[in-house]
Amino acid sequence: MPTSYAVVHEEQHFFPSAVSPGPAQKRLALVVVLGLLVVFVLISAGLLSGIKTKRIDAFLPAYLASMFVCDSMTAILLFVQFSILRLRSTLVIASAYLFTALILAPYILAFPGVFAPSGVIGGLQTAAWLYVLWHCGFPLFVIAYAASKDRAPTKRLSRRTTLVAIAQSIVLTVALVLSATFVATVDEASLPHIMLDQLRFGPQWPYLVGAPIASASVAALTVLWLKRRSMLDLWLMVVMVIYLIEVPLSYYPVPMRFSGGWYAVRVFGFLSSSLVLVVLLYEIQTLYARLLGAVLAQRREREARLMTGDAVAASIAHEMRQPLTAMVTTADAGLRFLDRQTPNLERAKQAFKNIASDGHRAGAVVATIRANFRTDVRERTSFDVNELIQEAVVLVNGEFQKHRILFRAESIAQLSPVTGNRLQLQQVLVNLMMNAIEAMATKDEPRILSVKCEASEHDRVTVSVADTGTGIRTADVDQIFNPLFTTKSDGMGMGLSICRAIIEAHEGQLWVTPNRPHGAVFQFTLHTSHPTSAEMISLPGVECGSTVSREHQPF
Amino acid sequence: MLPPLKVERYNIFPLLTAWYRSPRVKCGISAPDGKNSMTHHASGQTVAVVDDDPAILRSLECLLESADYRVRLFASGAELINSGCLAEVDCLVSDIEMPGMDGFALLRQVHASRPELPVLLITGYPETIKRLPADNQGGSRVFAKPFRGPELLTAISDALRSIQ
Repeated sequence: MPTSYAVVHEEQHFFPSAVSPGPAQKRLALVVVLGLLVVFVLISAGLLSGIKTKRIDAFLPAYLASMFVCDSMTAILLFVQFSILRLRSTLVIASAYLFTALILAPYILAFPGVFAPSGVIGGLQTAAWLYVLWHCGFPLFVIAYAASKDRAPTKRLSRRTTLVAIAQSIVLTVALVLSATFVATVDEASLPHIMLDQLRFGPQWPYLVGAPIASASVAALTVLWLKRRSMLDLWLMVVMVIYLIEVPLSYYPVPMRFSGGWYAVRVFGFLSSSLVLVVLLYEIQTLYARLLGAVLAQRREREARLMTGDAVAASIAHEMRQPLTAMVTTADAGLRFLDRQTPNLERAKQAFKNIASDGHRAGAVVATIRANFRTDVRERTSFDVNELIQEAVVLVNGEFQKHRILFRAESIAQLSPVTGNRLQLQQVLVNLMMNAIEAMATKDEPRILSVKCEASEHDRVTVSVADTGTGIRTADVDQIFNPLFTTKSDGMGMGLSICRAIIEAHEGQLWVTPNRPHGAVFQFTLHTSHPTSAEMISLPGVECGSTVSREHQPF
Repeated sequence: MLPPLKVERYNIFPLLTAWYRSPRVKCGISAPDGKNSMTHHASGQTVAVVDDDPAILRSLECLLESADYRVRLFASGAELINSGCLAEVDCLVSDIEMPGMDGFALLRQVHASRPELPVLLITGYPETIKRLPADNQGGSRVFAKPFRGPELLTAISDALRSIQ
């Protein structure tokens, strides 16, 4: 279904498994890797040689329990993400974390001295072989993840098959862990020996443990690097580097369990297990904050639109009330002229004429308003900016009267028509004028609102709305176009971010400068349908509509 | 370079002014009709009307003349103050919302020189009436547009009778 495709595409932009990492994330990953390498070099240079480490029986259960929690939570989060994004690669990496979480169970059972002196299951080699399978298995999952990434966009699953796919993956992963456990326990005797005794690693360790883990990690790192795209890829690469560092650290300088290096490897292991979880949680929080911001912004914008709508409605009501009052009053007068003992027909006739003329005025107001709201939002037409200003003024004229504001309009007679959506641009003008009125409403005289339009560049018209209000503080200038920002307690007339969005959609710009001696000037540019006649005279060499420097930086 | 641009102030209501202009509002003392009024006996008393809307001025002129008042019309408070004929006025009808000096400011100025002058206020914003107690020192009556003509006339004649 095309609709569900569209939804999935949009959702993809918000998940770490789909979003590409920013420069800050890349730097952080680099810092983590470099830090780990420094720690590794220090340890191999003999940092821990002076420290005599002992066997701590409580360490391993605590360590493995926390690893289990981290890995299973990561797996759950990734499964949830898969159910939303429905990308096969996410399912593979979720299974990878489920695998590392589940394999910890046989590992802890087999580890000698945790639950029983020689382990609950298997023999001497079982725990070591489970470690090998665990640390080789995860990089192989990562390789599968990276390989399945490219097919993802075309191979999306339906919602029902999503749940089936998750169930299948869980079953497969459990089966994999069970077979690994089976091999490491039942076939333990036939497996090559890694451990000399319960503590010491045998001389075969580098070949049987180190080499496979290192090569699987390097392969995974290479594939990830080649197919790197998302934030998840970046942090999985860091995890693979940690896997790689763990290999020499386990064997040098002392090849045995509960050595300084062994403990360090566990710390690294915990780090690798929690890294992606931390990134996922961080991303979820960021996403939540962004969502909240967007919802709040949307609510503010809606309220602002309603408030401006209220004011416009009040203004229209006033605009209608004026001719109605004139009509009613004149009608009363006319009746009185007719009611006289000798009716004054001449005056009564005049009264009727006046009523008719006032009725036409009311009709004109209605017609203007209807024309204002009839335009389709997507429709772009060519029109005179002066007309646009006149239409917008009709909508807010009542507010001028109410707040005793002197309105001035200046225009150039031979201004070229502009291209755009009349209704949207009118909303911008109304919004700017409402803001200006509000800025002046609490101030003493003079309250002057000037709207001016002039040709700015060869194919542009600049419209400016200047007020003598309270002005905008320098600190707020950068903020006022932010949808979440308002300096007003009731938020009326908000919507500067909408205004800017509309103007930018018209390839124009909206900015604000201080008015002298006080107040603010909001200015926006619009494209003319063709250059002004005045300029065509003064710039005969310039072609109509040619693009001379469209970059106009207002600030 | 752009040639010097011709900048002109344009009227914001070109459509509407066409109608305003057609029977142009006369500003000045209108001759009373001389005929008997049905309910109000104005006996040629002068009422000044201040409103920035020409259509309202014209309609009030018509109404007041139908009651045999002499009528003087002003487009703003300043115009009335500067006309120097405040002393000849018997009653004042003023709009509240006007650019520059509003109805309340005009009321204060008028009452400074003629405290006894009856003033009636009219407003296009019914909510203005709510904030009256603070502003309405003179105890003037306020009519919300559109008001009933006979009621306004009764209020004017009552006000004129009370000061006599």
